[in-house]
Amino acid sequence: MEKLSQEQIDKALKILKMPADSKLVTHLNACVHCGLCADSCMYYKSMKEDKFIPARKVELVASLYRRYCTLTGKIAPKLVNARDLDEKMAEEMVDILFGACTLCGRCVKHCSIGVDIAYVVRIGRQMLAAMGLVPATLQATVDAALTTGNNMAIPTEEFVDTIKWMEEELIDEMQDENARIPLDEKDKNILYTLNPREPKFFPLSISAMAKVFYAAKESWTLSSTMYDVTNYGLFNCNDEEAGIIARHLHDEVKILNAKMLVLGECGHGSRANRWEGPNYLGMKYDFDMITVAELINDYIRSGRIKLDKTIIKERVTMHDPCHLVRNGGLLNELRFAVKSAVNDFVEMNPHGNDNFCCGGGGGQLAMSEYNDRRIKIGEIKAEQIRKTGATIVVTPCHNCVDQLMQLNHHYKLNVKIKSIGEIIADALVIEK
Amino acid sequence: MNWYHWIALGALAICALVLFAHFIRLIRLGNPTDYSKKSGSVAKGVAYSSTVAMIDHKESAYLHIPTYFAGMVYHVGTFVSLFLFVFFLINIALEFTLPLWLKWILIAGLSISTLCGFVLFVKRLLVKNMRNLSNLDDYLSNLIVTFFQGMTIGYLLCPCVEAYYYIFVSILLLYMTLGKLKHVVYFFAARYHLGFFYGWRNTWPPKKVK
Repeated sequence: MEKLSQEQIDKALKILKMPADSKLVTHLNACVHCGLCADSCMYYKSMKEDKFIPARKVELVASLYRRYCTLTGKIAPKLVNARDLDEKMAEEMVDILFGACTLCGRCVKHCSIGVDIAYVVRIGRQMLAAMGLVPATLQATVDAALTTGNNMAIPTEEFVDTIKWMEEELIDEMQDENARIPLDEKDKNILYTLNPREPKFFPLSISAMAKVFYAAKESWTLSSTMYDVTNYGLFNCNDEEAGIIARHLHDEVKILNAKMLVLGECGHGSRANRWEGPNYLGMKYDFDMITVAELINDYIRSGRIKLDKTIIKERVTMHDPCHLVRNGGLLNELRFAVKSAVNDFVEMNPHGNDNFCCGGGGGQLAMSEYNDRRIKIGEIKAEQIRKTGATIVVTPCHNCVDQLMQLNHHYKLNVKIKSIGEIIADALVIEK
Repeated sequence: MNWYHWIALGALAICALVLFAHFIRLIRLGNPTDYSKKSGSVAKGVAYSSTVAMIDHKESAYLHIPTYFAGMVYHVGTFVSLFLFVFFLINIALEFTLPLWLKWILIAGLSISTLCGFVLFVKRLLVKNMRNLSNLDDYLSNLIVTFFQGMTIGYLLCPCVEAYYYIFVSILLLYMTLGKLKHVVYFFAARYHLGFFYGWRNTWPPKKVK
C-alpha cells in the first residue's frame, strides 16, 4: 500500500472526531471484549480465525477512536490498545472490514452488550472511503451506477430491447394483446424497480412480476433509465455517492409522477431506499415506498390476485435476506406471500431474525478478490438448505439469488432458486 | 472522618463527575435523525432491548451459559459492592450496624461473584481467542474490580482493613474514568440505540413466525 498522506488521514479521522449524534460514540465505547459474538459470525464459524471475531472488527475502529479522541489513548496508548492510523492499519481495515463482513448484523442481535457491530464496520468503511481505499471492484460497481444509472452499466437500448422481448413473451403467454410491460409512462400508481441482474441474467423474473401486475390489473410502469433498485453506496459507505444513487429513484418518481415506488426484489436495495435513502438525502419522502413482497401481500389479501397452492408440488424453503428481515422488519410479510403460493413450506434452522446471511451481502458479490471466502462462508447456508429437504429455495433478493445459485453449484444442492415474484407467478390463477 | 475517607469521597466525586460528563455528552449529541418513515415503535423496541432481549434467543447467552452466568453474577457483585461502599461512607455518620445474617449473606454472595470475576480473568488469560482480543486495560479492569469485591468481603469480615479498603476503592473509582469500565454508562446507551434502531424498523419486539 502506498504511504498515506496527511490529508487522507485527516479526512478519515474527521469521521471519528465529529460525530453527528451519540450513536457512534456509544458503540465505540461499549465493547468489553467478551468475545461471545464470535459464534454469531459466519466468517469466524467457517474459518475459526481470531481476526474474524466481530469484536476484533469493532476494535479496529475503536482503537483509532481511542488513539485520536480520548485522553487515555493519547497519553497511554498501550494501556488501551490505541493504534495509529498508518498503512498497516489501513491494509488490515480493508481486508477485514471490506473483505470479511457481509454487514448482515447477525452479531449485533447476539452481542452481550448491544454494540451495533455492523454500524461500526460501516463507519470503518466510511473512513476507508474517505481515504480512497475502497476495493476497486466494489468502487467500479458504484461508479457504474453513478455514471449510467445502473450498477451493471446496461445501455438503455439493450434494456429496452429486453423489456420489449419480455413483453412479447407476456402477450403470448397471456394470449392478450393488452398485456404490457409499460416503459416511462406517466401518472401511474406504481413505479416498479429492478435489480440490474434481472434484465442482464434473469429476465424471466421481470416477466413473472409483469404477469402478477397483469393479473392484479395494476397501473404501473418501469423507467427505461432509472430502474436500478440497488445502491452499492450502502456498501462502499461513501454516503455522498449513496445519496446520488438514491436520488435517481426519488427523482424518477417525481418525473413520472408515480404515486408509489415499489422496491424490486433486492435486500440491500430495499434498505438503501426505504431506510437509508431519506437520510442520505436529508429529507422525508412525500410518496409511499414499499417492497414488492408487501405489494403482493396486498394483492392476495384484497383478492386482486388468486393463487392455486396445488400447482407447486415441491417442498419449498425460504432464505431471509438480512436487510429485509433482521434489518427491515419484514419477517412475516415475506412468509405470507410464499405460504400463500405453496403447500409444503419448511423453515430453515435458524431463520427469521436469526437467519444466516447467504454470504453474498455487504458487497461481497462485487469484490471478486474475496470470492474464496464468500463461497467458504456460504457453506453454512448450503447446509441449512440441505437439512430442510426442500427442492425450491425462495428469496426476495437477487443478490441472494446469485450467491445461492453459486452455492447450489459448488455444494451440489440440486435445488431451484426462485424470487418471490417467480413463485407467485407460478401459482397464479389468471382469470380472463 | 479519617483522611482515607476524604480520599475516597474525592475519588467518588471525580468518578461521578467524569461519568456524568460522558452521559451529558451523549445527551447533547442526541439521537440520530431518521427521515425514513417509521414502521414500528421506538418505545417498545427500547423497552424490549433493555429487558427481554438480554436473554431472548441470544447466542452470547445460550451458547455460553457458564461464561454468561459468571458475567451476570460478577456484575451483580460489582453493583452490590458499589452500593455497600456508598453505604459505608454514609454509615460513618449513621453508625448503623449491619445484622449478622445480612453480613454473612453478603459475604457468601460476594465470594461467589469474586470467584466468577477471577474465573473470567483466568479465561481471558488462557483462551487464545480471548487473549488476542484483550489489551492491558481489559486485564486491569477485571483484576481491579475482582479485588474490589474481595476487599469488600475483607472489610465486612474485618473492619481493621478499613484504610486499605478505602484506598483501594479510590484507585478503582479513579481508574473507572480512564478505561473500559466506562461501559457502566455506555452499556445502557448501547441498549437504547439498539432498541431505537430495531424498534423504528419493526424488528423489535420480535414477532412470532406465522
